[in-house]
Amino acid sequence: MSLDRRTFLKSSAIVGGAFGLGVFPALAHADGAHWTADGIDERALVPQPKPAKKLRILILGGTGFIGPNQVRYAVERGHDVTLFNRGKTNPGLFPTVKKLVGDRNLPDGHKVLKGKKYDVVIDNPTTLPQWVKGAGEALKGNVGHYIFVSTISVFSSYPSPLDENGPLHEPGGMDTPPDQARVGNNYGKLKVRSEMEAKTQFGDNVTIVRPGLIVGPGDLTDRFSYWPVRIEKGGEIMAPGKPGDPTQYVDARDLSEFIVRLAETKTLGTFNATGPKSPTNMAEMLYGIKAVTTSDARFNWVDSDFLQSNQVRAWSDMPVWVAPRGANAFMLQMNVTKAVAAGLTYRPLAVTAQDTLDWYHSRPAEEQAKLAAGIAPDKEKTVLAAWNARKPAGGP
Amino acid sequence: MSQPSTNLLAQTTGQPAQKKLRILVLGGTGFIGPHQVQYAVNRGHTITLFNRGKTNADLFPKLERVFGDRTLPTAYDALKGRQWDIVIDNGAQIPSWVRAAGAALRDSAGKYLFVSTLSTYVNRRAIGITEDGEQHKPAAPDATQQSAGYGPLKVRCEMEARTAWGDRALILRPGLIVGPGDLTDRFSYWPVRIERGGEVLSPGTPDDPVAFVDVRDLTEFSVRACENNLSGDYNCVGPKSTLTIAEMLYGIKAVTTSDARFTWVNADFVAEKKLRPYSDLPVWMPPRGDNAGWARMDCSKAINAGLKFRALADTARATLDYYHAQPPERQATLKAGLPPDKEVETLAAWHASGRE
Repeated sequence: MSLDRRTFLKSSAIVGGAFGLGVFPALAHADGAHWTADGIDERALVPQPKPAKKLRILILGGTGFIGPNQVRYAVERGHDVTLFNRGKTNPGLFPTVKKLVGDRNLPDGHKVLKGKKYDVVIDNPTTLPQWVKGAGEALKGNVGHYIFVSTISVFSSYPSPLDENGPLHEPGGMDTPPDQARVGNNYGKLKVRSEMEAKTQFGDNVTIVRPGLIVGPGDLTDRFSYWPVRIEKGGEIMAPGKPGDPTQYVDARDLSEFIVRLAETKTLGTFNATGPKSPTNMAEMLYGIKAVTTSDARFNWVDSDFLQSNQVRAWSDMPVWVAPRGANAFMLQMNVTKAVAAGLTYRPLAVTAQDTLDWYHSRPAEEQAKLAAGIAPDKEKTVLAAWNARKPAGGP
Repeated sequence: MSQPSTNLLAQTTGQPAQKKLRILVLGGTGFIGPHQVQYAVNRGHTITLFNRGKTNADLFPKLERVFGDRTLPTAYDALKGRQWDIVIDNGAQIPSWVRAAGAALRDSAGKYLFVSTLSTYVNRRAIGITEDGEQHKPAAPDATQQSAGYGPLKVRCEMEARTAWGDRALILRPGLIVGPGDLTDRFSYWPVRIERGGEVLSPGTPDDPVAFVDVRDLTEFSVRACENNLSGDYNCVGPKSTLTIAEMLYGIKAVTTSDARFTWVNADFVAEKKLRPYSDLPVWMPPRGDNAGWARMDCSKAINAGLKFRALADTARATLDYYHAQPPERQATLKAGLPPDKEVETLAAWHASGRE
């Protein structure tokens, strides 16, 4: 690690110290390898009043991307945490946390939950309504509060800055088989059905959290990570659309901490959960990421029509971006007022970007070499060359 | 809750150097001095501080201190008979000071590092001005007044340094020096303003280039330059590659959770409203006329000699940390930037002008 970054981190650690845990807790640790270790991670902590009551929390999933952040935060805040999953993903995580094993695709997959009592269940991984039904039937009468992690993909279109009452997809079929879960719009439709099933199973004691793009250390989809990694590499960078095109995302740690605090306050209802708190745009995101590096990155903004005609896909090739038009006009301008009022807080972008880079550099070399999102380097070069050739003289 | 100002240096890095130097620092307690001294101490060098003992007198209690007033003929008497490897002169703007230091110390030290300025260049019209760029006509050797002009005075100071020290003179020419400890607020305005949030008047076009150097990058380079026995002149400003003002402002926003939004007001309107680039609208200089190359100086010589640049987020964060550690009355009076009411008024006029 460079001295530069060490200094940055130390600087912020000093502030953290001055404020107790401070506004920059995420910078208290400098070591990227930190993320491969288990146990408490101070970086996940945002200063909040300690909960008055110790909760028994059952986390369904808990070992993927967002789950571990919930586990760390909940454990640190003194809650009694149990994980329920197949025992296949990151089984070595959290050796001191209680674990129950079951496969939610199986008819009796939830039976190990029968007879157990919890104050709160946080359901992270569910895409199939049958999973909600299975959990609900197994836990019937034994759960005080069920928090379902849904998605903003439940909305059928984004014609305006939607609040929680925006237009939803038609609900998917209750018995949709696992191999159909991601076909077409099924992801959103099945989440709609799952939200409905949550209310059927758990009545009024339900909270539905609808995140936008979840980002940060631990993200295996690389949909945000592409940008810090690409910008750190430097040179001429394809930047999509216009500098002012809106964008939204939420750091997995901000989301996870919010969810745990919703549990502590037993806050019911439905929440859009993306960020930041106030509007931002692609230029602010990309230039903000550049600020944590010493890269010589320079940004070449390529018109969205040109991207489309060159088969550069929004969201996957050019992550965290969609052209703000048509049905997606306001997809990245969700109204998050309700969640913010309920306690959703946000790390600075610099923290998310730096920690994402630290985590990326801690990954095995072969994973670092193959990002799961973002345009391939040679294609970026080719399309940029075409774009530059097309521009009138005096271009970039 | 605030931190004591001495914490300013708690984060200074630096590994021990191979060869330990005896360094005499003239000044050393202003803005760049403390960072430089702390880094030199961290590198294992032996430091003697020479100054009046008036500024930040308690900053380095463990270091040797010799008191003297450079305005007096007897200034250097207390240093007679001593030997150093290097004399570092951070702040001199008056040619006679440099001349007197040379006369008193050139046989007592092997090298003289003089911190000059990019303001020695007669203009910054060209892109990529190197150390050979045309300088101002020097001020008179006995000039003492700022009326001679900062640039011409510094040109004369450089000449005095070369006369006294020959090729043992090392001259650094920094651009805008920024970061924790800056009392001029010429960069600090932006982090402070952006952290406050709301609509931020942003000058020029988003692509206008900017240049500055973090005080820690400059001072660490200065110490390493001594270790490496460099001589000659070095432009010292950053970053290494072009940074636009939008990249700077949005990059600063990234270390905050502010709701800042940026309204770009073009250079003509700024001029009509008699807002001064660089002071009312810090860091920014419209890239035209004599300043067309303002932010495009060629610093490759210094970079090749070891000048490095911290990430902007580091500079912005450290600047904010420093600012928040200051007493409330200091925080309330920024020395540069637009006063809030003037900003609001100008933004309103801009929106009403129909020129957005």
